[in-house]
Amino acid sequence: MTLAQEAKLSSRINRPFVRRTTSSTASRAPWAVAILAAFAILAPASNAQTAATPASAKTAAPAHKHAAADPALSAPVKTIGNHSAPITMEVFSDYQCPSCGNFYEITLRAMIQDYVASGKVYLVHHDFPLQMHNYSGQAARWANAAAMIGQFQDVDAALFDNQAKWTADGDLEKYVAGAISPANFKRVQAILKGCTGPAPTSKVDRSLPQGEAGCPVDPYIIQDIVLGTQVPVQATPTFVIRYKGQSYPASSGFITWPILKQFFDTLLSQ
Amino acid sequence: MTANETRTPLASTLLILGRVALAAIFLFAAYAKLKPQASMPWSGSSIKTSLSLFAMQVDSYQLLPPQLVSPAAHFLPPLELFLGLWLLSGVLLRYAALITTLLLGAFFGVMVRTYTAGLEINCGCFGPGERLGPLTLLRDGSLLALALAVTIGAFLRGRRSRVESAAVAGVSAPQRAD
Repeated sequence: MTLAQEAKLSSRINRPFVRRTTSSTASRAPWAVAILAAFAILAPASNAQTAATPASAKTAAPAHKHAAADPALSAPVKTIGNHSAPITMEVFSDYQCPSCGNFYEITLRAMIQDYVASGKVYLVHHDFPLQMHNYSGQAARWANAAAMIGQFQDVDAALFDNQAKWTADGDLEKYVAGAISPANFKRVQAILKGCTGPAPTSKVDRSLPQGEAGCPVDPYIIQDIVLGTQVPVQATPTFVIRYKGQSYPASSGFITWPILKQFFDTLLSQ
Repeated sequence: MTANETRTPLASTLLILGRVALAAIFLFAAYAKLKPQASMPWSGSSIKTSLSLFAMQVDSYQLLPPQLVSPAAHFLPPLELFLGLWLLSGVLLRYAALITTLLLGAFFGVMVRTYTAGLEINCGCFGPGERLGPLTLLRDGSLLALALAVTIGAFLRGRRSRVESAAVAGVSAPQRAD
């Protein structure tokens, strides 16, 4: 059984019915009996949940385990903020997915300006390009190449800011060029020189995606996809929050900044 | 024994099973939302954290404005706990079952709306980590049908009780006159 399957199984609710002896007089039982019976029902449920915890804990995504694809190139750093911040938020995202775009523009941007800037949150980006999107794999390549030369944050923002535009024609290059200096853009172009074929994307059947042999960023994208499959990422955006070494269950979809901030404040007040 | 006489105990048993099943499901749903996350022990702080996590799931439905998300997330699990205990007690079952049906109907409506809108989010029905999909819709639809059946059964039983009481009163009244 793979980690993904194990995590999926453990998160499933499999308690459709709880056996309990009843009688025709039960409908007139006093509240005290009802409360005792409730505890009897809750006890086995509590055990089931405790057993599920290690499986979900095992899926905690490590932020910095990048295998070097080419020793001459440094691993892409797709993080924003201080590594020693108390909260780490790992986001699995697809540059072409509209929800990811909204999540970045409305929630993550505010978070970066506020809690990342103040050292409370460390943001880790993971690529999870979906097969259904034509250009998301290629966008991930540009972001990873920029991350190899320390320009991730600007390119990441440019890709999300202009998502609607490049989604229409696939012209990513124009927006990456506009986000960084000409010299850095040339370096990024040089990194992507060997990336002429299709970019890796996550597969519907969860099989291992294939990268291009001459493309130095593809192994990092594949590594993120594999990591995401273990979480398991079932939709984008999905994010995992860690605090004091503990991982909280993955959440999916668009979440507003006030509600996310409230969760962070609850964690920080512990 | 007539067919009518055998039907009554069977209906009564089914009603008890139905309400206990609903109670167990509601109690488990409340427990799953309130239980401490990430190996924390039970405490006020851990419950607060769990409710904040649940608030994110409520928010992901994109139905409520942010200022209403948190109150809703803090209200729903205690309501589920209360309804679970109420159903289990069997006291005023008609009303407990009716409120349960209305609540499940609202949940089901919101889930169908979210699913048809194409939002790929966690259901949040039994705590975090369960994706909203056809299976969760089928499950919640079945729960709604069960709650509706218990409600109808509870109202029918109430009506039958009133009819029987009236019949007994009708027989005993002439006896007292005698």
